[in-house]
Formats: sequence, C-alpha cells, structure tokens
Amino acid sequence: MSFLKPKDIIDQGDTVILYISINNMHAIDVNPTILNKKGETIENVFQTTYGALKVKELIGVKYGSKIKLSRGWAYVLQANPELWTQTLPHRTQIIYTPDISMILFQLEIKPGSIVIESGTGSGSLSHYFIRAVKPSGQLHTFDFHEARAEQAREEFTKHGINEFVTVYHRDVCQHGFSEELNGKADAVFLDLPAPHLAVPHALKALKDEGGRFCSFSPCIEQSQRCCEELQANGFIEIQSMEILQVEDIVKTKNIPVMDLEYLKHKKPTQPAENNEVKDNSDSKKETNAKQEREIKKYLTSSAPPTMPGHTGYLTFATLPPIYAR
Amino acid sequence: MTETSTIKVGDYVVIQRQKYTKLHKYGSLDSIVILGKQKISLRSIAGQKYFTTFKMVPNEKNPKSGFSLEVCSEAEAKNLRDALNVQECGTDNRNILDDGESQGLKADDIDKLRGECSGSTELIEKIVENSKTFTSKTQYSQEKYLKKKSKKYCEFICIRKPTIRLLSEIYYRQKPEEIMGIRMDTLSQIVSYSGISAFGNYLLYDSGSNGLLAATMLNSIGAGTEAKLVNLHPGNEPQKQAFLALGFPQEQASRCVSVNIYSVLRQYYQGETTLNGTEPVAAGSKRKPDDDENAPVEEKRQRLEEPNPEMVTIEPKTEPTDKKLKWQLENERAVELMKGKFDCLVIAAKEHPQNIIKALLPFLKPSRPLVIFNSCREVLMDIYVDLKASGEVNGLRLASNWLRSYQILPNRTHPEVNMNGNSGFIMFGYSVS
Repeated sequence: MSFLKPKDIIDQGDTVILYISINNMHAIDVNPTILNKKGETIENVFQTTYGALKVKELIGVKYGSKIKLSRGWAYVLQANPELWTQTLPHRTQIIYTPDISMILFQLEIKPGSIVIESGTGSGSLSHYFIRAVKPSGQLHTFDFHEARAEQAREEFTKHGINEFVTVYHRDVCQHGFSEELNGKADAVFLDLPAPHLAVPHALKALKDEGGRFCSFSPCIEQSQRCCEELQANGFIEIQSMEILQVEDIVKTKNIPVMDLEYLKHKKPTQPAENNEVKDNSDSKKETNAKQEREIKKYLTSSAPPTMPGHTGYLTFATLPPIYAR
Repeated sequence: MTETSTIKVGDYVVIQRQKYTKLHKYGSLDSIVILGKQKISLRSIAGQKYFTTFKMVPNEKNPKSGFSLEVCSEAEAKNLRDALNVQECGTDNRNILDDGESQGLKADDIDKLRGECSGSTELIEKIVENSKTFTSKTQYSQEKYLKKKSKKYCEFICIRKPTIRLLSEIYYRQKPEEIMGIRMDTLSQIVSYSGISAFGNYLLYDSGSNGLLAATMLNSIGAGTEAKLVNLHPGNEPQKQAFLALGFPQEQASRCVSVNIYSVLRQYYQGETTLNGTEPVAAGSKRKPDDDENAPVEEKRQRLEEPNPEMVTIEPKTEPTDKKLKWQLENERAVELMKGKFDCLVIAAKEHPQNIIKALLPFLKPSRPLVIFNSCREVLMDIYVDLKASGEVNGLRLASNWLRSYQILPNRTHPEVNMNGNSGFIMFGYSVS
C-alpha cells in the first residue's frame, strides 16, 4: 500500500526500500512469512551483504529509521517511483528517471489526466504516471506479453495503486487501444519497436480537445518513421530530443605541489660537508624537499568513469483540438 | 486539457507565431502585443477558442500603425510548397552562385508588394517567381528557402493557453536569469525527485523564479485534491507571474500558502507576531538571510524607505483590531502546516543554501525527499560535503543534465546545430532520522 501517499509507519504489506548504500538498495515486501520453493510457509528473512534481516521486525518501524542487520545496519525508506526504478525486478529494459521526468513534463501530465501507455514493460514508467494522475486520473497501460501484463497488474495491487490503472494484454499496433478509449486520452506514450504503426491509433484515442504524444525509441530509424507518420496524421510541434543526466562525483583531493625553484640555486653548503661525495648531498636535498612538500586541498567534482551515453530518442508532438486540425 | 476553453479578458495568453512564443497579459480589449516591429491589436481574440489561428491584417486607415487579427482557416497556413505548386527542382548546388543577383526584386519592391498582396503565400509566390535560382535548388533546399521566407513574412498567429511546458520554454529562451536558469529538463526532475503529487504537504523556498516553481508544484498537486504547498520567499511579495498565468481555480490556488521566510519562522519560534514584528524584507535587500541578529533595526529602516504594500492597506485602520490581515492569516496557516511537517523540501535559492537548509530541514519528515537547485556546481559541492557529514540525508546525489534536440526529416536527420549547455545543478536525497 506504500505507493498511494506519503506515510510515517511501516505496515504489513508495505513495499519498503532497504537502503544500505547508494549502490546497494533493495525493495522488500513486508510480509512476516513467505513460501519457500517447496511451497511451505517459512519466516521471511532477507539476506544482505551485511547479514540477515527478519522482515517482520520492520512492522511498526518509522520510515527513515536506522535498523540493525546481523552484521551491520541500514535505513528503511518509503518506496516511491524513483527508488522503485532503481530496485525493481527487471522483466524488460526500463526507462530511468531523467527520461521519465521529461516525458511527464512534455506530456503535461497532472492529477486528472487520462494517459495511455504502451508497452507496460516492467512498470517503471507506469508508477510515475500513476503518481502524477491520481486521484482522479487514470492510466491505461498495454502490453502484448500476457505474463508481463499479469505481473504488472499484481504489482499495482500490491502497491495499493490499482484503482488508478487499467492493465490490458493487447497488441496495440494490430488492434489499437480499444473502442472504449476513443477520444478519451489527454496523452499517449509509446515505447514500441514500431511506434509508427500505433500513431493512427493514438490519433483516435486522443481527446477532441487535442493532447500530447510521446514516443521513446532507442534507434533513430524508428523515430524517423514515427515523425513521418505523425506529420501525416496531423500532429504538430514534432520535436525530438535526447537527454542524459550527468552525475557529479564530489571528492576532496589532496594535491601535492612540487618545488622546482630550489634546483636553480646551489644550496649554501657548509664547509665541512664539502668534502663529502657530491651525489650524496644532492639526494639529501631531495629528501628534505620531500618532507616539506606542500599539499593543496581541493573539493573536486568529476563525471563518473562510465555513464549512460545513450538511452533513447524522445519524440514529442501535439495534436491540436479538432477545430484546429 | 482545457485548450478548448475560450479566451477571456484578464487571461494570460501565449502568442505564437511559428516557433516564436511570448507570454502576454490580455488585460483589456485594447491590449496590444508587439512582435518584432509589428504592433498587433488583440481586440478580436476575446471569446474565441484557444488554439485558434488568426491572420494579421494591416489596419485599413493607416497600415503603418499596426495590425488587427482575423480568424482564419487552417488550410490557409498549410504547406507552402504544395500551395505554390512547385514542381521543378535541381539535384545539387554546383550551378548556384552567391552573387547577390539571384533575387530580381529589390527590398523596396517587396515592401510595396507586401501592401498589394492579399496574403503571405501570394507574396512569397512573387518572390519565388523573381528568384533566378529557385528552380535549380534541390527539393530540400527549396523547402528550407520557403521556410525562411514564410518565417519572415508569416502573418499567422495562434493564441495558446499557457501551460507549464510553454511557460518554461518562453522564460528560458527569453530571460533564463529570471528563472535562475532552471532548464526544463532540470525542472522536470525537480518535480520527480520531490515526489510532489495530489497527497501530502510540500515545502518550497524560492527566491525568484517568476513563480515558475510554485506554479509547477501546484500544477502537480492538481485541482480538487488535498495536498498543500507552502511557498517561502524572501521578499514582500512572492514572485507570481507564472502562477497567475496558469489561471488556477481559486480552490487550487488557495492551497499554495505564500509567506515571507523571516516572518513565518519568527512566528513559528516566537509565537503570535504583532504588526511590528513582521517586517518582510524586499527581495533586493542586501541583508543576508542568516544574520537575523540585527534585523529589527534594518527592517524598520527599510520599512520607512519602501512601505510594504500590506502595511499601506492597514494605515487607515478603523477596523476592529482582532481582524487579521491576509498575510497574518497566511502566516498562521503556514505555521500550522510547519507543525505537522512536510513531505518534501525544495530549495531554489539565490542566497547561499546552507543556512536555509539548516533552518528548513527540521520541518521535513523522515524518509522524505530533499531537492536543492543551484546554478553553481561549487555551491552544491560544499552543501554535499556538509550534508554527508551531518548524516541527516541519505542517497545524496549531485547532477546536471545534457539535452540535445534533433532535426528529424527524411534523409536529413542530425542533431540541431546549437544546443544549450547549461542545465543548472540539482542535488537530491532522502531525510533520515
């Protein structure tokens, strides 16, 4: 029930995010018992890199608290679409927060919006759509893969947001978005291998008052076909873009400073040492310099060594109201 | 979507000519908008539907004095190449010379034609007829040429209803510094990371985005929902152009409680404030947000110099003293919400965010998002180190965005020649107890 609205205390059935570190998070369903492989009911114990967690002990704990693991500790956070996107079980490739944010922004989604999404995939984007349209709006999400549609449906119910979403098992390229949705949608989102095939269906599904359209395609050829089809179907303001989020890794660095000045001048040597071997005194000087070496401290930021270089091309378009088409 | 609603006097409208857009307050029927050098009277748009296309018509008596608008059919504004019935084209540009001789018409001739032709299509037709090179241009090049000409002589204007998307595009293109350089991708992520939706109470500190942040957040809160937004600002009045432009219903607008940050924090900690205790400070004030120590003296001085509009209204006070002013009531509402704490904290400050975070983080419930925007990376790097050390925030990340637009046309797909390289910076994480 944990996706409906902000809450303070963990209840049984919640999905919580166990935060160990920024790269080590897990989504856990808070159920005291689970079924094992043999179908027997056993105590629900979650294993982490810092030891085990008895899940039933989370019930009644305040969100944001620090909890003990058998060999360390972690924080429990309330699940939300951002954290879910980072922890969800992948059934397909998913779209991440930077692209999703732009999709919601460009599609002008707000509470009350009627949104069509295809395909459902792993439900990463669906969770965002649902958060944005509730309580009065509705998401209609389509997938041609029956098991995926079913899994998504179960997930939405588990997360307490099923009343804001209708899941369909349907190939929209062939069969469209169903008669009942004709003229109902404020926005249509496509993440399909052949989005251009669904563009005429999107035209039918959008309201007479007009609406917004988005297609996400990893390949430019898909976007090209989609843009042509959009233009042929009377969409305007066709815009394509690519967005990448660049993380800043913040680190304090200690940078040694070399002194090369002293090399220009002979060190005023003491007469006694003059008799010693020359090489020896030179190396002595260098060790002295090393000891006094200056260090400058900097707060630095750099891009991560590997980062996403491409996610997909986002194509947006407007369908004008019927009197302006 | 409410694009179908009709245009009313008092609305803010988006004036669109091809790709150019402009925000305009349609304050009265006599309202005039200036596009480039052209003055256009908006008298005729009242009562028409949004998204209607109008044609610019020169004033009859004095064409130089400007234009009025007439509703026109969509077909008129459609594909110029088809309208001109262009059939001939070349294969490449080997025979095209830039000798300044290709256009037979002089600038004066074109000006004259402009008065004579009934529309831009006819005018462009004349220009094309007199171009010696047009027919030897490639089809792509012809399209580009026509696009350029129709941009120059376009006489079609569309009136759009403002939305967050249109507004943020206008502000960012025209005066990014007025919205602290918050680019749309960054704005979209502020909405995501703050988790703002129809449920919960949200806290925003915004020292100047023309109301764009408050408008965006209230837009995500939605009409007829239960969520509330407290919008803290450093001046006498919150900036609110974008907020007003969206024309929220009263019920929704009233769930954004805008209060002065000094005034409300003082009331929260020191209890009911008297009139003397609540001198908000003008936005341009040099006073740093953190030196509240010597504030009273300075604030009083300031009040003498530039009276607070709210103060002015009370001056001729004959009303009973128990009648509270609007800002006092807003302060009380904000204090009540602050006692219950918030479900997210968003800070977009021109001031150094450090003390603002220190003052506002205690009002954030545990396991809730904190989002800080700044136009400088260095400022956020310092904050990053502080917050990490404090242990009050988890999952902290600092990021910026890279955004590239594409021209996608058959056989002519490539990234746009120019791109904007300055998204601003956002930092986000979750409060923990």
